[in-house]
Amino acid sequence: MLEVTELAVAYGDVQVLWDVSLRVERGEIVALLGANGAGKTTLLRAISRTVPVRAGTIVLEGERIDRSPSAHVVELGVAHVPEGRRLWPDMSVEDNLRLGAYPRRARAGASSALDYVYAMFPRVADRRRQIAGTLSGGEQQMVAIGRGLMSKPSILMLDEPSLGLAPIVVAEMFETVRRINAEGTTVLLVEQNVRQALEIATRGYVVETGRVVSSGTREELLGSDEIRKAYLGL
Amino acid sequence: MAGLYAAMSYGLALIYGVLKIINLANAGFLMLGAYVTWWLFTSYHIHPLLAPLLIVPAFFLFGWALERTLVRRVLSAEPIISLLLLFGVWLVLQNLAYVIWTGDTRSIETPFVEATVNAGGLQLAVPRLYVFAMGALVLIALQLFLTRTYLGRAIRATAQDRDAARLVGVDVDRVMGIAFGIGIALAGFGGSLLSLLFSFTPDFGRALSLKSFCIVVLGGLDSIVGVAFGSLALALAEAFGVRYMPASLQNLISFVVLVVVLIALPRGIVGTVRALRRG
Ligand SMILES: Nc1ncnc2c1ncn2[C@@H]1O[C@H](COP(=O)(O)OP(=O)(O)OP(=O)(O)O)[C@@H](O)[C@H]1O
Ligand SMILES: [Mg+2]
Repeated sequence: MLEVTELAVAYGDVQVLWDVSLRVERGEIVALLGANGAGKTTLLRAISRTVPVRAGTIVLEGERIDRSPSAHVVELGVAHVPEGRRLWPDMSVEDNLRLGAYPRRARAGASSALDYVYAMFPRVADRRRQIAGTLSGGEQQMVAIGRGLMSKPSILMLDEPSLGLAPIVVAEMFETVRRINAEGTTVLLVEQNVRQALEIATRGYVVETGRVVSSGTREELLGSDEIRKAYLGL
Repeated sequence: MAGLYAAMSYGLALIYGVLKIINLANAGFLMLGAYVTWWLFTSYHIHPLLAPLLIVPAFFLFGWALERTLVRRVLSAEPIISLLLLFGVWLVLQNLAYVIWTGDTRSIETPFVEATVNAGGLQLAVPRLYVFAMGALVLIALQLFLTRTYLGRAIRATAQDRDAARLVGVDVDRVMGIAFGIGIALAGFGGSLLSLLFSFTPDFGRALSLKSFCIVVLGGLDSIVGVAFGSLALALAEAFGVRYMPASLQNLISFVVLVVVLIALPRGIVGTVRALRRG
């Protein structure tokens, strides 16, 4: 459903992605792995059209989107849950979530989507009137994911959802991602928690300094010596 | 006075919140709102209370077009560039007013403007009550718009985190045009209200604009609720202040408040409360 081909992205004169190709099929969880500064966030931003594409193509459900405005890509069904959560800190939790249903196609179903999110995250439901900035990191991450789900996306892109969370909350987070996927949403997951990401992923890509250096199914990656050494510490 | 102060300051706060620029032309649009009200009245016999029905949509369109054509080009430049641009817009508006309406002092004289009511032995000027009520009404309407509608929420989201707004599908460029248009419409509306209370010349609005800056600094530059608090605080400070000092020094009060707040509470009242709440 999503196909990225020979993508190049630069911030001004500084190129950060070279010749990146990647494919996500409907129903998959695809893990995007790699060290700090490898370019994972930049790749997601290129797909959500919040950074300009220098070369290459991005095709979503047969439509080229590499020159489309971000609002159009959201309308087509891409939800990008950014690194660092990026909630609107002075708005209530519920207002944060409601804005997730901003795309026209999602508005009519906003109330049912809200019920779905509250059922998935009961702790968020308890805090719906609270100002988002007052929540704990784990709760904020749930709101950020919930906001992404509010648009009923066909593909959910998560950028390091486990970053800065306590181990117990991290486990919960991965379980949540697995559940969202099981309920029908395709997931592209950026993670540095390689082991846990590969536990739930169908396939993965490894990015190093702006290039895809290896890719394969979960079993292939878990079986590769390089990956075991570099990312799993075995 | 609080209602009036609020009406002339929301626009400034809204534009700053969403576009992160300070609308130095605010005074120009206040002045223009007053003149247009006067001109509609003297030339077309349109009652000054009806003038906002024309002024608000016309000023919105003008503000929106101004953002599209000029302001947008300087948004990513250094702040001084947008300050200069909007200062330039102010000068142009002022000079246009001199050309069209000359420098003579104008005022609106209708029975309504002179009317008073007697409330428990107190003589109250009707236009003042009206201006206060309209200011409060617009505050409430704006607050409802910003909290209850998708477009209003998108405006707040853009003010708080532009990139996050993009990620939920908000067309941030469009929102900025609309926010600027609303800001200018509010200034025009404020000017129209002012024309019921004061006489004016093309220089009109300069001292009032200082008060607007004081209010938004008091309230926190990007908060509509803060503007309401700030307006009330300044109106009260002035009301008390004039008891102890000559009226000619009244404008000094806002300046003193401005300096004190900038030093003591650089985030404004609401910003400070929020920071405390967030811990
Ligand atoms: N806005 C920007 N302007 C200029 N350079 C940037 C910008 N954002 C990121 N970079 C650079 O691009 C490279 C890739 O960054 P990116 O954030 O995509 O990496 P990442 O894989 O997501 O890293 P992390 O794991 O730390 O989140 C880095 O070298 C970074 O310094
Ligand atoms: Mg990143």
